[in-house]
Amino acid sequence: MKWLILGPEIYFLTVAVIFLILSMTRHNRRRDFSAAVFLAGLGVAVTLATIRLEGSLVYGAYRVDLFSQVFKGLLSIGFFLVVCLCSNLNGIEEKRHPEVYLLLATCTLGMMLLVSSVELLTLYVALELSSYSLYALVPLRSGGGQQTEAAIKYFLIGIATSALMLFGMASLFGAAQTTYIAELARKLPGLLNTPMAFIGLLLTLCGFFFKLALFPFHVWAPSVYQGAANQVTAFVATATKVTAMAMLVRLVSMSHGSTSLAHVLIALAIISMTYGNLVALVQKDFKRLLAYSAIAHAGYSLIGILSMNPTGYAAAVFYAFAYLAMTFTCFLVVVKVASDGRDLAIVQLAGLHRRSPLLAMALLVGVFSLGGIPPTMGFTGKFLVFNAAMERGYFLLVLIAMINVVVSLYYYVQVVKAAFLLEPDEELPSIKLSVSTTILTALMIVVIVVGGLFPRYLFQLATATVKALL
Amino acid sequence: MNMEFSGFPYLSAILLSCVVGLLVILFIPRERETLVKWVSLAFSGVALALSIYVYCAYDRTHGGLQFVEKLLWVEPLGIHYFNGADGFNLPLILLTGIVHFTGVLTMWELRGRVKEFFAFVFVLVLGVFGFFMSMDLFFLFVWFDVSLFPMYPLIAIWGTTRKEYGALKLFLHVLAGSALVLPGIVYLAIASGLHTFDIVALMQPGVLTPGQQKFAFFLFYIGFGILAGVWPFHTWSPVGHVAAPTSVSMIHAGVLMKVGAFGILRVGIFLCPIGWEFWSPVMAVLATIGIIYGIFVGLTQTDLKYVVAFSSVSHMGIVGLGLSTVTAEGLNGAVFQMFAHGIMTALLFSSLGYIYDKTHTKLIPDLGGMSKVMPLASGYFIVAALAGMGVPGFASFWAEVTVFVSALKVYPALGVLAIGAMVLSALYMLRVVQRTFYGQRNERYVQLPDLSFSLGLPRMILVVVMALFGLFPGLMLDLIQTAVIPFMNGLPR
Repeated sequence: MKWLILGPEIYFLTVAVIFLILSMTRHNRRRDFSAAVFLAGLGVAVTLATIRLEGSLVYGAYRVDLFSQVFKGLLSIGFFLVVCLCSNLNGIEEKRHPEVYLLLATCTLGMMLLVSSVELLTLYVALELSSYSLYALVPLRSGGGQQTEAAIKYFLIGIATSALMLFGMASLFGAAQTTYIAELARKLPGLLNTPMAFIGLLLTLCGFFFKLALFPFHVWAPSVYQGAANQVTAFVATATKVTAMAMLVRLVSMSHGSTSLAHVLIALAIISMTYGNLVALVQKDFKRLLAYSAIAHAGYSLIGILSMNPTGYAAAVFYAFAYLAMTFTCFLVVVKVASDGRDLAIVQLAGLHRRSPLLAMALLVGVFSLGGIPPTMGFTGKFLVFNAAMERGYFLLVLIAMINVVVSLYYYVQVVKAAFLLEPDEELPSIKLSVSTTILTALMIVVIVVGGLFPRYLFQLATATVKALL
Repeated sequence: MNMEFSGFPYLSAILLSCVVGLLVILFIPRERETLVKWVSLAFSGVALALSIYVYCAYDRTHGGLQFVEKLLWVEPLGIHYFNGADGFNLPLILLTGIVHFTGVLTMWELRGRVKEFFAFVFVLVLGVFGFFMSMDLFFLFVWFDVSLFPMYPLIAIWGTTRKEYGALKLFLHVLAGSALVLPGIVYLAIASGLHTFDIVALMQPGVLTPGQQKFAFFLFYIGFGILAGVWPFHTWSPVGHVAAPTSVSMIHAGVLMKVGAFGILRVGIFLCPIGWEFWSPVMAVLATIGIIYGIFVGLTQTDLKYVVAFSSVSHMGIVGLGLSTVTAEGLNGAVFQMFAHGIMTALLFSSLGYIYDKTHTKLIPDLGGMSKVMPLASGYFIVAALAGMGVPGFASFWAEVTVFVSALKVYPALGVLAIGAMVLSALYMLRVVQRTFYGQRNERYVQLPDLSFSLGLPRMILVVVMALFGLFPGLMLDLIQTAVIPFMNGLPR
């Protein structure tokens, strides 16, 4: 019975095995897709069923609590949503489709293990499991050469940050003589004024800065966002970011409000926001633009984490919910408009308001939510984050972040303008959405707006989640 | 759940009529354009009826905050859904109702993407209504931004002269304002130590230190001032007004600029009275510059819409001047001027819009003698122009007199300058009227039709409202007084 608390992990392992077998049979596109949607949907149910479970395994190295389970639920939802987009997985050769599902499942599994790891080595192994799945997913796209370039960039920077992270963990172990996070959290406040412990913690965080595409570990993001298949990018842009935010909350909370760490994080947050937003201003490709916007959003979410108070961590968790919803909505539009799996330039959104009013509206809501305009989850997330930072007296940081928000509105408006105002050179056919896609799109709009206007329950969930951690 | 309602929630019903109107429009097929217009008219009519009811049913003998609806929204953060009506916001709620209703009628002949247009207008008006009635800083900010973002598509899609440039400029300017307002709001909630966004709780004397008030007031003054068209942050407004389609200009100049001025009042002056007194000389100087600048730049314009847009800058300067006097009469006049200018400018844009729709030009030299071609449309414009000059008998006369009298007492030099400029403004409006509507008739436009009854109706409503409050200013001044007097008496002196 003890192993029941590993329900989601065991389930996703099974899913991976099923797709491993399917990848060896004769390929059948419809069968693979239906199986994937069914299994992913069941995965959400399995994960949500275990949300209240608690326990500890493997000599205390693996902990199941509300924090880990909420994020597992979020990951399974992310997996399900991305699989739903795979009905037109046209960027990837048909015979590789089962492998895509296989790798997505192992990646999700790796991230689920990650959010439950409370010991540095376990954490590292889980992180690598999810990373290697992604390294393999990125170059799967067919045609062109850009996916190879993206994959190599991703891989090289990834293993380099892994090395940094291992070095940091070694220093942490040297300073505190333990690899358990609970133990570290007890010893670190006294140790953080020693360079060894401080640098150790900072380098350990680097692994997740990389996942979050925070400056200076952001260089892979534009190439990977553009080079990978649209569905894979959607997964990289949603699920991995959510995990990175969760792990940063877990690791930063170990320091118990160290001001020197906060100062480093403030600097990184400001540079990341400003850099991401300024470079995004000149982008022509929509996915590339989203990559730079992700770099900026890494900065915003870090503001909540670096406030190092319960409201701040809760705000960061809320931000993760919001980020998943709004980024996914944007990628939903990318996948449906570029249905043949090509890259989508912003001008190719022209005439979307006539081709599919629903998608145009989803794009409007998603993009304005990323831009932080109420009443959307994106606004409420930013508001909570700023509220937490203000509690710590970081007025200037909030002001800089708000100025960044205004800068970012310029490029978000360009997207809205393309969809609502520009007309395509030649008449394009309207986009037919299947019933399930229509429902999904409408649902995403409702989630973003309602989550923004009624943040009460989600914020309570985020607060409870964080309480499990502290 | 912590709830407090005084009777039927009329204020929420106003918001709800906008939301329902929006949802109904979204589910109408887009080919059914007439149906969309009728639905818009019906729901804006409901909102107007409710706002008239609230205006009349407000108990003036008791004063204070009435029609209170308070609901705890997010507990740990101290956010409430909190609406209330007092002498300050009732005139503006009424104004929004009138301008929205007449705006729908004005756009009756709109062709092309009708459904989207009216949907965006409903979002905008929802934000404006919510902003005026909200007594919680969080919701106030939410409504503030909700009222701003539809401006971009509304101008960029249906606008005219340099529409994309105008729309983007407007959008980025006003949202830059909100970038100052949001940190200010969060700062107040945290710095007060109360961790609440409830305006009534935060406005109690002693909650905020003088230093905090001076700092926060500055943020709010600039942040909301951008939207209120305070000189030198007004540059977006003429460009935006000119680019916008008629009813959007009406809502924008008539209502949205008041959102900015009302923000200074409700957030800045209410919560930071010490900051208000501290910064009031600066406000007075900027407002006077705005009045004079608007008139002088308006004198040189040849585009009718620019003329009206710059007159808005100068009239909003009068609102600013009233607010800067820190006297009861000044506040009273400023709020009345917000209402009066809203109606007047809506009428100006509305009659101008009709002329532009028919002649496809708004350049003064191309027109001329229009009063012989379209006597009714010209008549409405001339009436509005007279009201703008401050001719007695219209609401703006009383507003301007009240503001100038109090300004003369507090800032004699600035007051004289501003009054002198207003005399010039009469010259400038008469010049426009003379060149556009009298003199040589342009033969090209001779056969153009005049306003039909249905299109004349919205203009007629606006004229009636202007004259009603001009002949019986007590209807509104007494109401504003019920809020101003207790507020001024409560100030720390």
